[in-house]
Amino acid sequence: MKETTAASENKKSPGFWRHAWLRFRRKKLSMCALIVVLLLSLVAIFSPMIAGTRPIVCKYKGNLYFPCMAYFNADWENPIFQKDRFRKRYPKNLKEKDPDSWAVWPLIFQDPYRPVRNKEWEDRPGNPFNGGEPSSLNIFGTSKGKDVLAMMVHGTRIALLVGFVSTGIAATIGIFVGAVSGYFGGWVDIIISRIIELVMCIPSIVLILALMAVIEQPTIWHMMAILGFTSWTGMARLTRGEFLKLKESEFVAAARSIGVGPFRIMFRHILPNALAPVMVPIVFGIAAAIKVEAGLSLLGFGAPPPNPSWGTILNAGMTNYTEWWQIVFPGIAIFITILAYNLIGEGLQESTDPRLADPKD
Amino acid sequence: MAGYLIRRILLGLLTLLLITMAIYALIRYMPGNPLATDAAMMNPENMPSEEDIQRMRAAYGLDKSIPEAYAHWLTNMIKGDFGSSFAEKKPVLDVIGSRVTNTLLLTVPSLILAYILAIPIGLFSTARSGKSDERLVGVVLYMLYAIPSFIAALFLQLLFAVKLEGTAFELPLMGTKADDYEALTNSEKIWDLLEHMILPVISFTYVSLAYYSRFIKANMEEVIRQDYIRTAKAKGLGPFRIMIHHAFRNTLIPFVTLLGLSLPALLGGAIILEQIFNWPGMGQLYFRSILTRDYPVIMGLTFALSVLTLLGQLLADILYAFVDPRISYQ
Repeated sequence: MKETTAASENKKSPGFWRHAWLRFRRKKLSMCALIVVLLLSLVAIFSPMIAGTRPIVCKYKGNLYFPCMAYFNADWENPIFQKDRFRKRYPKNLKEKDPDSWAVWPLIFQDPYRPVRNKEWEDRPGNPFNGGEPSSLNIFGTSKGKDVLAMMVHGTRIALLVGFVSTGIAATIGIFVGAVSGYFGGWVDIIISRIIELVMCIPSIVLILALMAVIEQPTIWHMMAILGFTSWTGMARLTRGEFLKLKESEFVAAARSIGVGPFRIMFRHILPNALAPVMVPIVFGIAAAIKVEAGLSLLGFGAPPPNPSWGTILNAGMTNYTEWWQIVFPGIAIFITILAYNLIGEGLQESTDPRLADPKD
Repeated sequence: MAGYLIRRILLGLLTLLLITMAIYALIRYMPGNPLATDAAMMNPENMPSEEDIQRMRAAYGLDKSIPEAYAHWLTNMIKGDFGSSFAEKKPVLDVIGSRVTNTLLLTVPSLILAYILAIPIGLFSTARSGKSDERLVGVVLYMLYAIPSFIAALFLQLLFAVKLEGTAFELPLMGTKADDYEALTNSEKIWDLLEHMILPVISFTYVSLAYYSRFIKANMEEVIRQDYIRTAKAKGLGPFRIMIHHAFRNTLIPFVTLLGLSLPALLGGAIILEQIFNWPGMGQLYFRSILTRDYPVIMGLTFALSVLTLLGQLLADILYAFVDPRISYQ
């Protein structure tokens, strides 16, 4: 008898999130969607190594350089290449200026920001400016001379970043506002609830367009911030509801009775218990943010032109419908990404809902 | 009920005041002004003199401070005067009025279609729940729901206006009228309009169709587990009668509130879709007036949309009490 209790004490029963993960893993579609999102993240992280005109790594005048990092941030390009007047044309300059140099090149020699010129890479012809149909050199065709595949590979970075950053901002605001509103109640709750209703009343696309128009030179980061600041209301309402419910529970009363401060109770004790229902709209929010970003870029209101977002390619495609590849490929990419996030969201919803739990687990 | 209504309306008025204030401040902070976006003004040969600019600024009310100008707008608005559009030099109400019909041409058929189709699809999915044909329908609806409407619109345009060009299935790419519209007879004019409406209406409809069908199914699944459905089955009613009379009627409660909430979308149209189809409706007007900094039009549209949103919410709550006798607003 004594032994069995000791054994069960040693074997810790799996926690809530482990349970949820076990249930989530059984949903084939949601797991596929998770894999798709992970693959997309890999594409985003390694985008300069997949498509680009800068070497991944090169040896130049006795030193090793990683010029491809300039795709993440233009300032990361080593000054030596500016001093030696490379002008972003690496293959020939490397050979001419240092015959002993060597370089490892990206999988696809194409640039998302500019058309590849004639003979830039050995004897290869340049990208056609008009009517660049999909071909062996430009698998997804060209958009105003730029390779669509390269733009899409680098656009993955923007799409995923927009999803994460803007939803992260929205979730932070939403959870904080909802927590304060639900926990403190009273007039704080009344005022915050009124503000939430007010923001909900303004059609979000209108507010986003107006805010984008206020900024003189919007960058992709401005857009993420705006998307975040306009989409927190749903999460705030949900968090508020959870907090209203949980603040009456015994563990909160216990924490309060030993003198724990309100913010510690809110974020250390209540929030972990309220997180599961709030996680679901966060995942759906990522899908929505990606959709809105694409829509804004399609209207020409999105990331400024050199940024190769998926919506920007659609925007170029709208000016010439005969160049179907500028619409079909980015369109499919947006659809797959949104579908994947929706499936993950649904899987998460089903696997964290205690009412749907399998008693055998 | 009357007390509840009065409280809601007062709160609604306060909300309206705050929204218009916020949007007014926002648009006045936008860089550039209506004078700088007018193409005629940009012409270097035709540059207006400094005095002219001052005179126009005064005429547009741009010389006032933001609170002052907002108060001016508000008092005029209460008198029913929304000002004149800078771009079209016409009263705002006329500008909006000329666009409302175009938007209604798309949103009303799409709303009706979505409701008419969603109910049978939802009932079918419940009746055949778990069977292979229901799963197929479910997957298709789920996929449709994940396609952003602007991408579906672009794909439809590619298919029907570009790929099928010259065949019997060809549909117009954009706009509301054919080039030779004036020369057409009346019946041909109607047919031409219908042809132009097909693609936008499909793009407007399918997302809400997928959403409503899934919504009905989810609600039906809950209802058919109730005891009274078992009772109905036990007393020997046919499956059709149980479905319609006993189950579906009880899912109407949440369904009806959806109707109220779709009110703003009905008149507001959709900015991106109208832009893609070059459809001269309210959404396109909103987009253009932001680009040209047409303050009175932006304010007029914001006001109209906010009123509709608030009315829609109120309507949803009232309908809720109307269809569900358990709810009362005392």
